[in-house]
Amino acid sequence: MATTREPYTRYPPAPPTGPYGGPDTYQPDPYSDGAIDTWQQEQEPAGGHEPQLKAQRSRVDEWMDKDFKFGGSRIKRKAVALILLGTPALVPLFFMAPAFFTMNEATFAGSVDDTLGTGAELSLFICLLITPMVTLTGQRWFVPLRRWYGILFACSGFGDMLAAGLTDNFAGGFFGKVAGHVFELMGFMMVMLAIPLLITGNHWAQRKLGKYWKRLQRITYVIWGLLFFHLVLLEGFGFQNGNGHNGSGNPGDGDPIFHQRLYEYAACSLFLLALRLPPIKRWIAARQREGRNWLVWVVIAPIFALFIFGMIFSINEEIFKGFNSFMEHPSAE
Amino acid sequence: MSETYADDYEPETVGGVLLVAISILSGILVLAGLLYAAGTSARHKTALAVNNCEPSMSPSGLPCNTQQMVISEYNGIVNPASKLLAADMAAYNVNEGRHLAAAEAALTSEVAAEQALDNNLAAVAYTPQNYANAINLITIAFDTGANTPGAAILLSPQATSIANAAVRDNQALAKLTAQQARSTSLTQLRSFNSRVEADTVAVQAEMKLIGKTLAAPITAAQEP
Repeated sequence: MATTREPYTRYPPAPPTGPYGGPDTYQPDPYSDGAIDTWQQEQEPAGGHEPQLKAQRSRVDEWMDKDFKFGGSRIKRKAVALILLGTPALVPLFFMAPAFFTMNEATFAGSVDDTLGTGAELSLFICLLITPMVTLTGQRWFVPLRRWYGILFACSGFGDMLAAGLTDNFAGGFFGKVAGHVFELMGFMMVMLAIPLLITGNHWAQRKLGKYWKRLQRITYVIWGLLFFHLVLLEGFGFQNGNGHNGSGNPGDGDPIFHQRLYEYAACSLFLLALRLPPIKRWIAARQREGRNWLVWVVIAPIFALFIFGMIFSINEEIFKGFNSFMEHPSAE
Repeated sequence: MSETYADDYEPETVGGVLLVAISILSGILVLAGLLYAAGTSARHKTALAVNNCEPSMSPSGLPCNTQQMVISEYNGIVNPASKLLAADMAAYNVNEGRHLAAAEAALTSEVAAEQALDNNLAAVAYTPQNYANAINLITIAFDTGANTPGAAILLSPQATSIANAAVRDNQALAKLTAQQARSTSLTQLRSFNSRVEADTVAVQAEMKLIGKTLAAPITAAQEP
């Protein structure tokens, strides 16, 4: 008997006024193509038709959707979880706040690129992490974080560019400083491309742009790619100048490889990219349909471990440089 | 097996193979990273020893005398002082012809900025620790065959003579500015202008020379 199935990488069309980033909605993304995700779109997990995963998803999502009583008012568990998970996105801006309020030019010139630049990079990675996590867990309650981290990526990137243009020692006026070198030009383009995403990152723009909204949001991938070139041009591949002077600020702690931003980028991006490849998504979906999600986790574990490895050193840098910025004694590394 | 099922099966296999390959690569990289991380402590100690630093002297356990740190320290002193002096000089220029008290206040502020610059620069440049650091930077560069970091010049004997001259001239300028600030009339105040300007130009030239040496590697003949 012939077995026919509906293609599982596509979802049935939903009304064009579907939910995007709304905290209480879990309907499928009307424009999903199964391989691409952006700041706001919500996708079904890869195994959207698998009953067990669906049940698991609904259990966690339903638990998150419930209220609890706090100080006479009722608060959703999900709201608390989202606030807790979203707060770190503000940390880079918090670190730079004292320098901003005291107009400390030395701190801006010395470490704004490390504090806000690294912060923007981390926000971008977390923004890009949401879809793979939906694919793997089948849960959707954390999807609003994608929009939040996307917005904070744009804010940190914009702040970095603004401070660089005003305080850098490079020749030229504002535009000379933000786009006078090729690596800066890459960063400048990233920020410029983030602006339309920031402007259209809302429900109204989504309704107005219709199917073009998603195409526009794919600019996120261009930004992700430009970040690679930005880092390569900024620091090279990490081995040109010998061990210890590898372009990552001479950390001098005997671990230049871990401080190489390009390596951190690569370690994080491998996981984010792999979980977006259509053949891999199809394989995951098939295993989830078979009820063998454990196998997915086993195979994914080393890639996820590498992602965590990269993130740890980026976060370490953010905290170390950020704390120095906060104390207005910018790190010279 | 139907054709449809076979079509589905093949991409799944491709995806599985791809995922396993990436997973193996990631596993190797993670293991390599962990092995490399196991030697962190020893490498850290070596790095500190090479830089003649004690771990307690370095925040977060990092060495205390990288080139960037020296340059940053220098810029951290000179840039804010330059900004303050520029603001004071602008205030003086506005008031020198019509408002004695305001002009004198600007000059007094200028004197304070000049003295602070002298003190900060001297404190950073001539401590025995920083001198030792400079020698280390030069030695490491010599051993590795790399160019000597410009930062070492600030602390080297050659640069010391430039920096000494800069500090001496700046002290003279501060003294002259203080005298100017004690003027009792606008005419007397302006009579100092030409001498102050000449001294300012001399100090600026010396500071520029120091800044220039920081940006460029020195030649072998200049090394101590």
